[in-house]
Amino acid sequence: MCGIVGYNGKNQAAAILIDCLKRLEYRGYDSAGIAVFDTNVVEVYKEKGRIVDLEKTLPNISGTVGIGHTRWATHGKPNKINAHPHTSGNIAVVHNGIIENFQELKEKLSREGFEFVSETDTEALAHLINHYYKDNLIDAVISALKDVRGSYAIAAICGSELVAARKDSPLVIGIGEGENFVASDIPAILKYTRKIIFLDDMEVASITPDGVSFFDTGKMPIEKKINLIEWNLEAAEKSGYEHFMLKEIHEQPRALHETFAGRISELEGNISFEGLNLTESHIKDISRISIIACGTSYNAGFLGKYLFEQLAGVHVDIEIASEFRYAHSSPGSLVIVITQSGETADTLAALREAKSSGCRTLAITNVMGSTVTREVDNVIYTRSGPEIGVAATKTFISQLGVLYLLALYFGKIRGKISSDHMKRMLVAMKMLPAQITRILNKKDNIKKFAETFSSSSDFFFIGRTLNYPIALEGALKLKEISYIHAEGYAAGELKHGPLALITKNTPVVAIATKGLTYDKVVNNIKEVKARDAPVLAIADEKDSEIEKYVDAVIRIPTTEDILSPVLSTVVVQLLSYYIAKARNCPIDQPRNLAKSVTVE
Amino acid sequence: MKAIILAAGEGLRCRPLTLTRSKVMLPVANKPLLEHIINAVAENDIKEIIMVVGYQKERIMDYFGDGLEFGVNIKYVFQEAQLGTAQAVKLAKEYVDGDFLVLNGDNLVDRGTIADLLAGKNGSVTLLAVEREQTLGYGVVISEGGRVIKILEKPKEIVSHLINAGIYIFTQDIFEEINRTPLSSTGEYAITDTIQQMILKGNIVSMVESKSLWMDAVHSWDFLKANAVFLENCKNKLSGTVEKGATIKGNVLVGENSVIRGGCYIVGPVAIGKNCDIGPNTVILPSTAIGDNVSIDSSVEIQNSILMNDVRVGSGSFISNSIIGANNTIGPHFSTEVGRELMIEMKGILHHAELLGTVTGDDNSIGNRVLIKAGKMVANNCTIEAGSTVHKDLPPGSIVV
Repeated sequence: MCGIVGYNGKNQAAAILIDCLKRLEYRGYDSAGIAVFDTNVVEVYKEKGRIVDLEKTLPNISGTVGIGHTRWATHGKPNKINAHPHTSGNIAVVHNGIIENFQELKEKLSREGFEFVSETDTEALAHLINHYYKDNLIDAVISALKDVRGSYAIAAICGSELVAARKDSPLVIGIGEGENFVASDIPAILKYTRKIIFLDDMEVASITPDGVSFFDTGKMPIEKKINLIEWNLEAAEKSGYEHFMLKEIHEQPRALHETFAGRISELEGNISFEGLNLTESHIKDISRISIIACGTSYNAGFLGKYLFEQLAGVHVDIEIASEFRYAHSSPGSLVIVITQSGETADTLAALREAKSSGCRTLAITNVMGSTVTREVDNVIYTRSGPEIGVAATKTFISQLGVLYLLALYFGKIRGKISSDHMKRMLVAMKMLPAQITRILNKKDNIKKFAETFSSSSDFFFIGRTLNYPIALEGALKLKEISYIHAEGYAAGELKHGPLALITKNTPVVAIATKGLTYDKVVNNIKEVKARDAPVLAIADEKDSEIEKYVDAVIRIPTTEDILSPVLSTVVVQLLSYYIAKARNCPIDQPRNLAKSVTVE
Repeated sequence: MKAIILAAGEGLRCRPLTLTRSKVMLPVANKPLLEHIINAVAENDIKEIIMVVGYQKERIMDYFGDGLEFGVNIKYVFQEAQLGTAQAVKLAKEYVDGDFLVLNGDNLVDRGTIADLLAGKNGSVTLLAVEREQTLGYGVVISEGGRVIKILEKPKEIVSHLINAGIYIFTQDIFEEINRTPLSSTGEYAITDTIQQMILKGNIVSMVESKSLWMDAVHSWDFLKANAVFLENCKNKLSGTVEKGATIKGNVLVGENSVIRGGCYIVGPVAIGKNCDIGPNTVILPSTAIGDNVSIDSSVEIQNSILMNDVRVGSGSFISNSIIGANNTIGPHFSTEVGRELMIEMKGILHHAELLGTVTGDDNSIGNRVLIKAGKMVANNCTIEAGSTVHKDLPPGSIVV
């Protein structure tokens, strides 16, 4: 998904383009650029990264007509050269979509002497328009589009002309006073105008400061209607959910499907990753893995430790990124860094530190083209889509999804997992999104418990082995959004100290899914019950014993023991959410926190 | 012109499918019913849509968002309590100006249907009527020379074969009249009562009879029919992988990342979503729509059915004339019995189904060798253990041992 904007009006274009692009950033960002026509030349500025990175590099540009682009690549390399706008002579073009016959066009245009500098299909479009250019842009664009197969929303400038066109990709025109706009969606320009015209497929718009004219591909004029936008922007973005966090919790089945898409072949028992440079012998030779991360990603990595150890038989050290740098410990032969944004400064610093030892590196991240992807040998994307709530939810689930896949993949290659075991695991994994949906469909039970205990000032989350990282994540979520002091503890550790804190006023959430340590967790529950603490258990739906020991039970669907943390996660997320909601906390923007921490 | 789409109701008669989503979100050819309606409206160049939502609104809003992906601009209005169509229209008052279109979100229409109504606009109210042999359960329209004399709500005997399609063009006059509309005996403010009052006052209420597509999906099984109609327009497009040895005939749509394994025999029209894993040796026969992330094991036969997202079907199963809700896990050798001319009881009333296997809600877990008798329905969150035969409708959360 990309975002494009264009401006032709009475004001300086650059600042307006940047402002509009920022509003498109939720569609993704890995590189961005603008082109502005200044008296007699088109000036182009591009940068890899976010819009703010582009903004920092911009000089003072004068010019009242321009275009801009923000890119979220899902395929292909995001770099400065490939960033839009692309130019040919005095023509600059931004494009969202795919030109299917671009190779063919490229060859033809190369023969005519046009020089290609990028790998993009868009550049061919720029040259093609230039090829047809005689004395005005609109005719050139119309002629060029006749040669193009594929989908596009484009905006092009040449001199003081701004032209836009679409086929199968969204584009809207905004009508202002003495200025007019074009953008990928309405929110981008809503600050400047509420008068919107929807461009339809195979329509071309010529945008001047004083008006916009519309044509079909035969240059016959078209009448278009102006729509007045009155909606509440934020409500539409949140899809009726009260908070982004709740929306994103509900997006988890979809996010996990995306994480798995094309990577699992259950019948053959195969897992494949695109762009993984580790050979089988590399994987067999791994003696020790270091997982380095911060915050929620650390909790995901912590679960990863158990997974690699149990499924792939390889020792794992899990390291807090900000500590690793100063630990003077030598990393394993493979270092895995986990960072949602790919920009977490602590994690990047630790990665650089680790690399000096000559280890192989692998990053699990959600953002294509982020800094971390440039600095590691291997990247696996979580494909969760942009996450807006500061408290990570769907990206955590997707990180777990990648870690399960990777541990199984390593296990298979290292001969620790039989083909049948693999198939069983993959079948169970593919069922996880549907099982998450089942938990979401029954969220009212969790809400009820949350409301009962929302006034508590301390919470404990306990679990053993695989459930311990989820206890940590539950405590972290609760702290982040409800401001309640919460601790995640390995259930067996309680008696070595923190049991002294347990009273009737400290609710305990016990993750007690079936598995190796179930009986021991039940014993730990009895320990806290003996101190009168209210206990909520997260248990398997077939477990009919647990209710004897606890005050309330939230049940999760039955899955392979080793996969149950994924489902328990959804319960602790919803629990934290509803507690924070009952306490009227600003859930999407907790105090003192930022989505991506780019300082050390 | 703007359009108000009424999409706040649950659609009780479509239970169990509507326990977890409203009727307008039920899939027809792998798209929510509501999407087909929005397309029909947008194709008539009406791009400003006000959607009245209530029951399970998040699912609707999540799917359609601000409408941009669908080429329209959608504004949402919440109807908290189900107080009838007149109240729903009133809620949208501040967002419409001039003449506006009102449609039910659960009647299937196409571009032509809306175009017919727009072409015949006349007076304070223009309503769309369609001719049906069977008018039982509908409001019927009595007219004279294009002017409506009377709307009769669900008359016991046949007085006219023209039924009210629930699609209107109103002028701003309607709002004043809505304020004077009394609560009906069923506890709702019905827009037909409002219109009836306007007729009595002498306002011009005109009627357009349309021969274009208009389908009322009343019961869950009506979706099989709607699905079949819309699948006829499906184009052949194979985006996933079709293994060697698989046979594809007719128009078949296979979504991204889906795999059709060797030995499968698929006869279109069939639509298969993305991330599906089908076969080997599975037979899929016409008028079947399969959602996203569906896994169907070897040697399964499916015909004239709807399988929603995230369904798993075990090997050797037979699914015919049935609707399987989302997230169902079905073991091997599952079988649906198909019955003709069934009378299905819901809340003490018998409803007719021409041809039906079963309808299951979401989140069920069905063991090996389960047989569901014709016309019996499974609600949601049920567990049916291996070897069971389902002889009666199962309420939510049932466990069959």
